[in-house]
Amino acid sequence: MQVVLTLGITLAVASAALAKESAVDYSRDIKPILKERCFACHGALKQKAGLRLDTAAMMRRGGDGGPAVVAGKVADSLLVGRITSKDDALRMPAEGKPLTAEQIALIKTWIEQGATSPQNEQPEQDPREHWAFKKPVRPVMPEISNLKSQISNGVDAFVLSKLDERGLAPRPPAEKHVLLRRVYLDLIGLPPTREELQAFLADESPSAYEEVVDRLLRDPRHGERWARHWMDIWRYSDWYGRRHVPDVWNSAPQIWRWRDWIVRSLNADHGYDRMIREMLAADEVCPEDDEAVVATGYLIRNWYALNPNDSMRSTVEHTGKAFLGLTFNCAHCHDHKYDPISQDDYFRLRAFFEPISIRQDRVPGEADPGPFEEYSYGKLRKIQRLGAVRIFDKTPDAPTWFYTGGDERNRVKERGSMPPGVPVFLRFDKHDRLEAYPTITPVELPPRAWYPGLRPAIQATAVADARATISSAEAEIVAATQATDARSTRLAAAAARLIAARAELTSVEARIAADRAKHGETPGADVPALARVASRSERDTALRKTEADVLANERALAIAEAKPATDANRAKEIDAANKLLTTARPAFDKARAATTDTNSETYSPFSLSYPKTSTGRRKALADWIASRNNPLTARVAVNHIWSHHFHAPLVSSVYDFGRNGARPTHPELLDWLAVEFMESGWSMQHMHRLIVTSTAYRRKSGEQDAVSPNLPLPIDPENKLLWRMNPGRMEAEVVRDSLLNVAGKLDPKIGGQELENSEALTTFRRSLYYSVFPEQGGKSVMGELFDAPDALECYRRSRSIIPQQALALTNSDLVHQLSDLIAQSQREKPPDEFVVACFERILSRVPTPRELQICLEALKSQSELLAKTNAADAELRAKSSLVRALLNHNDFVTIR
Amino acid sequence: MKSTRSESPCDCHSPSRRAFLSDMGMGFTGLALGAMLAEDGIAKAADPSPTHLVTPSPLHHAARAKSVIWVFLSGGYSHVETFDPKPALNQYAGMTFDKTPFENPLNSPLHNKRFRSVLAEEINIRDVYPTIYPMQVGWRKHGDSGIEMTDWWPHLAKQVDELCFVRNMWTTDNDHAAENQIHTGRHRLDEQQPSLGAWAHYGLGTLNENLPKFAVLGGPTRSDTRLSIDSLYLGPQYAGVPLALDPKNPLPFGQRKAGQSLEEQRQEYDLINKLNALTAVEYPEDQELQARIRAYELAFRMQAAVPEAIDFSQETEATTKLYGIDADATKLAGQRLLAARRLVERGVRFVQVFPSPYGSWDSHQKLKDNHTRLCATIDLPVAGLIQDLKQRGLLDETLVVFCTEFGRTPGLELRGGGKDGRDHHPNGFTIWMAGAGLKHGYVHGATDELGYHALGEGHYVTDLHATVLHLLGLDNRRLHIPGRKRLEIDDGRVIDDVLA
Repeated sequence: MQVVLTLGITLAVASAALAKESAVDYSRDIKPILKERCFACHGALKQKAGLRLDTAAMMRRGGDGGPAVVAGKVADSLLVGRITSKDDALRMPAEGKPLTAEQIALIKTWIEQGATSPQNEQPEQDPREHWAFKKPVRPVMPEISNLKSQISNGVDAFVLSKLDERGLAPRPPAEKHVLLRRVYLDLIGLPPTREELQAFLADESPSAYEEVVDRLLRDPRHGERWARHWMDIWRYSDWYGRRHVPDVWNSAPQIWRWRDWIVRSLNADHGYDRMIREMLAADEVCPEDDEAVVATGYLIRNWYALNPNDSMRSTVEHTGKAFLGLTFNCAHCHDHKYDPISQDDYFRLRAFFEPISIRQDRVPGEADPGPFEEYSYGKLRKIQRLGAVRIFDKTPDAPTWFYTGGDERNRVKERGSMPPGVPVFLRFDKHDRLEAYPTITPVELPPRAWYPGLRPAIQATAVADARATISSAEAEIVAATQATDARSTRLAAAAARLIAARAELTSVEARIAADRAKHGETPGADVPALARVASRSERDTALRKTEADVLANERALAIAEAKPATDANRAKEIDAANKLLTTARPAFDKARAATTDTNSETYSPFSLSYPKTSTGRRKALADWIASRNNPLTARVAVNHIWSHHFHAPLVSSVYDFGRNGARPTHPELLDWLAVEFMESGWSMQHMHRLIVTSTAYRRKSGEQDAVSPNLPLPIDPENKLLWRMNPGRMEAEVVRDSLLNVAGKLDPKIGGQELENSEALTTFRRSLYYSVFPEQGGKSVMGELFDAPDALECYRRSRSIIPQQALALTNSDLVHQLSDLIAQSQREKPPDEFVVACFERILSRVPTPRELQICLEALKSQSELLAKTNAADAELRAKSSLVRALLNHNDFVTIR
Repeated sequence: MKSTRSESPCDCHSPSRRAFLSDMGMGFTGLALGAMLAEDGIAKAADPSPTHLVTPSPLHHAARAKSVIWVFLSGGYSHVETFDPKPALNQYAGMTFDKTPFENPLNSPLHNKRFRSVLAEEINIRDVYPTIYPMQVGWRKHGDSGIEMTDWWPHLAKQVDELCFVRNMWTTDNDHAAENQIHTGRHRLDEQQPSLGAWAHYGLGTLNENLPKFAVLGGPTRSDTRLSIDSLYLGPQYAGVPLALDPKNPLPFGQRKAGQSLEEQRQEYDLINKLNALTAVEYPEDQELQARIRAYELAFRMQAAVPEAIDFSQETEATTKLYGIDADATKLAGQRLLAARRLVERGVRFVQVFPSPYGSWDSHQKLKDNHTRLCATIDLPVAGLIQDLKQRGLLDETLVVFCTEFGRTPGLELRGGGKDGRDHHPNGFTIWMAGAGLKHGYVHGATDELGYHALGEGHYVTDLHATVLHLLGLDNRRLHIPGRKRLEIDDGRVIDDVLA
């Protein structure tokens, strides 16, 4: 450490010396330091103490305390005093570490040398003028002088104009088989079958490709494929917390219904605006739509039993990042350093969500799960699979406390509860009142929303349950009639049970009638009279049931007493029957006493009741996010969509469109897509069709043989200008699904409760149906190796290449099983036909002559080796090995 | 850099296609293939521009250690009954803190400054136990250095002159998410960060391309402690690779299919490589393809290299005895520590060892029974590890860290009628280190007389991270991904005083 310290000082001195010798360049040496450390408070965003440091002229002018910089006079320059102060309260920057000795030396030298700066230095742009904060307008389609034939749609006009500017010639279209595999993997996440490949290659009609695109977009597997992309962005996670106990702390065991909603919504091409509204506020927007309210799983996913503040932090951060491309989380502890988002704005966004809680509604046809289990310290929360979870506003007046330092214990109660609101710069219609934007209107919920027991499907379930009880009671009568011993008492007990069951049905029907009348669904009905009937019939049912219980227990007692004294169980059974009778008889007496009241209108509801009004906060927020005036929403979404098609986004910082984020490579294209998206009714399928039918999408991905005045590769090696298609790699899920599919083993069943990862190599559902959660075991072994998403946050997937991937694809039982199956299915084919068939099936192309030759040699040599060791079925094993080699081919996992 | 994923909000730093090729998890560079191999150097500089990624740049400074063996004891061992004995606890046993002549630690501003409950205050606040519970074991000074250790460490005590203690550690979580915290530097309620091992992997070059750079033995201990080996935004290839101590199958899919001969598999790999090589002719610029060809070569060799690394059959009986592999109590810890030695010997950079299962040391009750039993499982093996590293000349280039997630309360835990245990104690605890670049037989820092607060500024867990990285030749402040803001709490300070 001594050495290092000394070295550090030497460095600083040396660079100061160096700085003295040569002239300090303001733009190169000074401005970057100030930009990084000072502009947040002394720039366009804020002007603390009236001071701006974003141009040298403004530094010379200074702030409230006088000039910050006096050319040639270090001692008179307030800036130097403040950055070198020994007093922590005075030293700038106020946050973070002091400037380094080297940085201070540079600034001093610059001042000594006269504090020179460029003549035309421009101040920082007004943050409100930032490109992404202004509403996108449809840009004028650029005029292309040549290459006109390559324009399929607007996408191409914008891409080509950029290439044209640089004089770059794009790559020609990809071969048909490459294109087909690309678009299959892109739109449904599976490669084409051999038959689909051959049919497409044979189809010479000019619209053959467009027809394939339409067919794939209609394919239900499309929704499954794209659901996984959005699940990354919306942080889908199955329940977790303490999986090994188990103890549910995070998310919910019924969250998979939200995943199925995503698949359904995409297949139905519901607008993205509608999807946002449903995820944030379906309980306010369409409160009676059971299919839609599960979308609020988006919010439930953030639930953390032990600390609601943590749930709120996740909700604020990821609502900002996912929908708006804004890093609200940066304003948790202090005002945002780059964007005009104050710390107040952070809490105002939180306030939209403050009233929420989770409820658990019975699913028609299933048993009633009862109320949602709130957290109770030290008590395990069980895995509840029944019911559908949804968000509702439970505590409309829950306060949102402002706190400091990112720690909820530091509440600033004097500030009162923070009202919901959005940052001023994103109030796109003129509203200057600070606290009340967007306008929030409370939502009066229909009775079926706040009292789910009123829903016809739930009523029907109750009726069906009662009928089922009658059926089983009737079956018991039949059985009792045929019984050989103790027939009469058994028959009497069964008859009592049947009477009770019939009374139950009457009671259910009466309660339904009363419920419907009470909630205005049967106009003109006499509500109190119906309620009295319901009440009486329910009490009558109780009487019949308790009566049947008494009879059943008396009979059990009689049977036990009739046993010989030597029977080992006799005493125990008598005891048990007596015990039951001591509760059954008083229950019967109580039930009988209760029947005397003829005026009661009280009866049991079919479910819990919840508040009749919702605050409307989340609806207001969702409307604001999904508004066509919101400058960010559509841009952020189309950037994600584009990114999945082209394997690279237009704005590389996909969750940060703020001032510190990346600029788009094609700003006009992004805006054109955003407007197109909104004007199509936020149709994702419209965007998919537009993008995959563009010429840009259909190009070759290879870099070579460019016939061009300027070879693009050296000029744009990273293909930012899209002179070629980007090659992609299958995501973890696609690798597994495609392996299964080429072997014909993929189970096409859609939806349902999540499956365990431990089963992912032995069961064959699509990969999106296996658990995902941010704990050990939250990824399948295959997922772990091929960059499955981090369920805490995954706005973009990583793409690693590691040797363990090779081990999984060569050694796993699954791959061996699948390659055996493929080999087996075509074992009758002669070797050359076998190789061709496997190439088409696995790599969606025929082998080159050289490849064919190598494969035939390998088949031969492998069979010979196996024959030598007397392996059973040497030829088939050699074929299986060849299949495995093709599954391990680079171009199996690669999307060309 | 790691991948095409660009979490960076800043375009100029977005990882390029070249960037993501530069490290392939087992630590080789996709572009300059071979350039990285067997080179000790930093793989990724803080400067993310692609040109800096292709060629390995030197370490931030000269390294003192090549490898780390990080031994983590889950559950929180009692600092006062292990490496920080407190006679005052015996003297004032049964009294409450305010009756002692010392300042009442509960009145110290440090009390609330340092610890933070995961549970919302509305849900539960953990009780504080103020009645002093005496030490459950004797203690004495050991070695030339005269450092105090308790009597539960008879073997390690003989190595005390090799050890370097830090007695003023503190953390902020008073529950077991602190296990993740000592590895990531972050409290459960704050945004999570990659683990220390992942940063080391990220920062260092490879010494053995056939083995993972960051290996994990016996962990993660439980589903919810995955974070202790995770890499999060660095990308999955930097996460710890758990190895099973089964030479037949140490790694998922690390073994060729039963019945398949080596020659048969070799022919299969040959075919894969020939086909990929042909594709490479068609796509000569495709760096991913080049990397994949390389990955298959490595994979083939790993199938032999990884089992060999954990195969003890070449070890002498004296060695296995030194680690206690011959006795039931010490067998598990002994095997894991011997495997750790074999791994660092072969160039693995960071071996994270969990010698005991999750929560083992968590002695709310019957502390004496618990620690008597558990100390006996690890005392001899870890003492053996120190001796073995020393006799092989490896201690000079290996850093051993021995730690737990927090200490235990000086007060008696009364919860549930408790009468013989201590609660979680984040305010002060002890870890020790040994080996490369450290002082020998040295104690740094202290807790107060009652063992309550770490004195002085103490050391938050990231100070330990900074020290470990420093010894590896890395500056933690320069290890970061653009756009992923690390906070000041992540930038620990090197504990200079422990450096030799």
